Amino acid sequence: MKKKFVAMTLVTAMGLSLVACGGGGDTNTGGSAAGGDTSSGSSSGGSASGTGTAITIFNSKSEIQDQFVQMAEEYSAKTGVDVEVYYSSDTVAAHLATRYSANDPYTLSMVDAKDVYSLGAEHAIDLSDQEWVGNTNYAISVDGKVLGFPVCIEARGLMYNADAIEKITGATFNPDDYATLDAFKGLLDQLVAGGMEKPTGIMKEDWSMGAHFLAETYEEQPDVEAFVQSLYGGSADLANNAKWNAKMDFFDTMMQYNYAGDSPVAAEREVSEQKLAEGEIAFMFGGNWDWAMINAYDFSENMGMMPVPQNTDDGANTKLVGGGSKYFIIDSSENTSAEQQQAAKDFLNWLVMDAEGNAFLTEKCNLVPAYSNIDAAALDPLSTSVKKYADGGNLIGNYDYLPDDHYSVCGASFQKYLAGQVDRAGLAGEIESYWSSTTPVEH
Amino acid sequence: MKTNTMSYKCRQFFMFAGVTTVVFAAVVIAPFLYGLYLTFTSWDGVSKEKPFVGLANYVSTFGDAAYWQALGRTFLYSAIAVILVNVVAFILAFLVTSGVKGQNFFRAGFFIPNLIGGIVLGYIWKFVFNRAFVALGNALSIGFLSTSWLATTGGAMLCLIIVSVWQYAGYMMLIYVAGFMSVSGDVLEAAQIDGCTNMQTLVHISVPLMASSFVQCLFLTVTRCFMVYDVNLSLTKGEPFNSSVMAAMHVYNQAFTYKNYGTGQAEALILFIVCAVVGVLQVYVGKKAEVSA
Repeated sequence: MKKKFVAMTLVTAMGLSLVACGGGGDTNTGGSAAGGDTSSGSSSGGSASGTGTAITIFNSKSEIQDQFVQMAEEYSAKTGVDVEVYYSSDTVAAHLATRYSANDPYTLSMVDAKDVYSLGAEHAIDLSDQEWVGNTNYAISVDGKVLGFPVCIEARGLMYNADAIEKITGATFNPDDYATLDAFKGLLDQLVAGGMEKPTGIMKEDWSMGAHFLAETYEEQPDVEAFVQSLYGGSADLANNAKWNAKMDFFDTMMQYNYAGDSPVAAEREVSEQKLAEGEIAFMFGGNWDWAMINAYDFSENMGMMPVPQNTDDGANTKLVGGGSKYFIIDSSENTSAEQQQAAKDFLNWLVMDAEGNAFLTEKCNLVPAYSNIDAAALDPLSTSVKKYADGGNLIGNYDYLPDDHYSVCGASFQKYLAGQVDRAGLAGEIESYWSSTTPVEH
Repeated sequence: MKTNTMSYKCRQFFMFAGVTTVVFAAVVIAPFLYGLYLTFTSWDGVSKEKPFVGLANYVSTFGDAAYWQALGRTFLYSAIAVILVNVVAFILAFLVTSGVKGQNFFRAGFFIPNLIGGIVLGYIWKFVFNRAFVALGNALSIGFLSTSWLATTGGAMLCLIIVSVWQYAGYMMLIYVAGFMSVSGDVLEAAQIDGCTNMQTLVHISVPLMASSFVQCLFLTVTRCFMVYDVNLSLTKGEPFNSSVMAAMHVYNQAFTYKNYGTGQAEALILFIVCAVVGVLQVYVGKKAEVSA
């Protein structure tokens, strides 16, 4: 009898711990378990309600998946086109590869700019004749054909928490006053003196430092293409490049005031974002997509993005870096029928030309519209900043032809710099040797 | 009924092993051969054409310093982890078969970590290393705990090994427990009567009789350590500065993130060969050591 009881208790305990682990798994990894597709449909619509055309949409922005699913239901109910939305946290190209090899591509795929260049010619249909093309500066063309439909504008810059700053300085924070690094340092010292011991944070992720921060060093060159070619050719001299040094001076300043200065490589993004949202730190380099994390915390409304402060007179310290982000392509293979392609085109048109579509993009998904006819008044604070700079023509464009392993290899070098394992000259050397040993990306 | 004809043998075979053979061929053999074919192409993973490039992928594999570093790192990690996992598992098995009070409870307890998936486990331990240990270190002013181990190159490897030991020790313990139980009581009793101490019984009677447990455990741990990916991904993600990227993670990155599908596939093939050779060699040597009572 006693044995039985013990056995039952053990089973219960193990069962409970499994349940607990399962729960933890869900919240921790979300869709990121291997292969993690989550499909969610609007299956109810279907042939009963109309034309019987069914299209599939691949969404690669996790933060708007719920909105997409809801929109798909409403769109299906209204138009009779059955829309199914899928999401995967895999690398976009890797995920699409599995669908292509299964001969089951999505009708509409949301991809990154570089994927449009690498996949477009083979897999996407020509959208040049679409009405929305005239309303945007961000569409991607390959060989003279418009293939990529820009979903939104995203930009990189310095995120700030104005409430935290104003609480110490007592004056309204105007980011334009801190365009130069000298002025910015003055402000940081003022914050330190006022009691905020460590006013900055640094994301140590390789994509943040490699693909976002380091890339700005190329993107802000007077002739980006020529500069990148000189990197490939080995003739670029980073150590004596004015832009490189201006950027690195800024990075050094961020490192100097970094809240995680003791162990910067251990800083977790969640913690840094929380500190910024709640005003424990005032500045961090990032982009408007960071709002998806910041809004999980007790954030202050009075936040925004400003250009990276630099001692330079090339005007880069008055601009954010960014442009179109995430592009829809429509599958061109024989697996997608002409009706499906037309339904997909109609959907894209609905997004841009219909008030409901506009509201979906800007209000539900909180995206900065890439189209001149769409107004967006109620964006989140970071996106509001991005829209302000975009509307004023103050965006420096993305460079879309970085090699695929650039962010990982150069991001790792940058992490070494952050950890104090190489100096600036060493970092420049590692980046130069990466480029000169890499096969140029054709475009 | 004739039982030695070819058709009878075939029927017998397909009746018992047919389904398994078909499934095995479909999900293991076929993809393997297809993968082999892909190593001779410069496919990027998505395009329709798979241009034939001969041995170019193998050439670039041999020129890929990061891959060989990752492989060397995997060897080091596997060597340490395999030894620690088995030592810990053996000691645990010894303790929970020695008749301590509540040994069934301990068996279940030590086994539970193995029921948690590697991804979740990685996140749990990341929290422990990054926050719990650091908070503890700061509160008690213990120097080596006050910064996260995951931020240093050696520390990240150490963390990976600790987590692997924690994950696999319980599982291997079960196999060793089965080994201990399989040693029959009369042999042990005979040893006692002949005047063996407990230690001598363990070393000279139990261990040789449970050699097959060692072979199984070593094989399982060696292959699992060589193929480690999930814990690697969620615990360190290769950081800091790609110094904890194991072979499997490098292969994944090469194929899917850097879009060199052919090269990644060639590297995976080499990883497979290394694993197979180590595994088979180890089983072969281990089998020779087995004795029967």
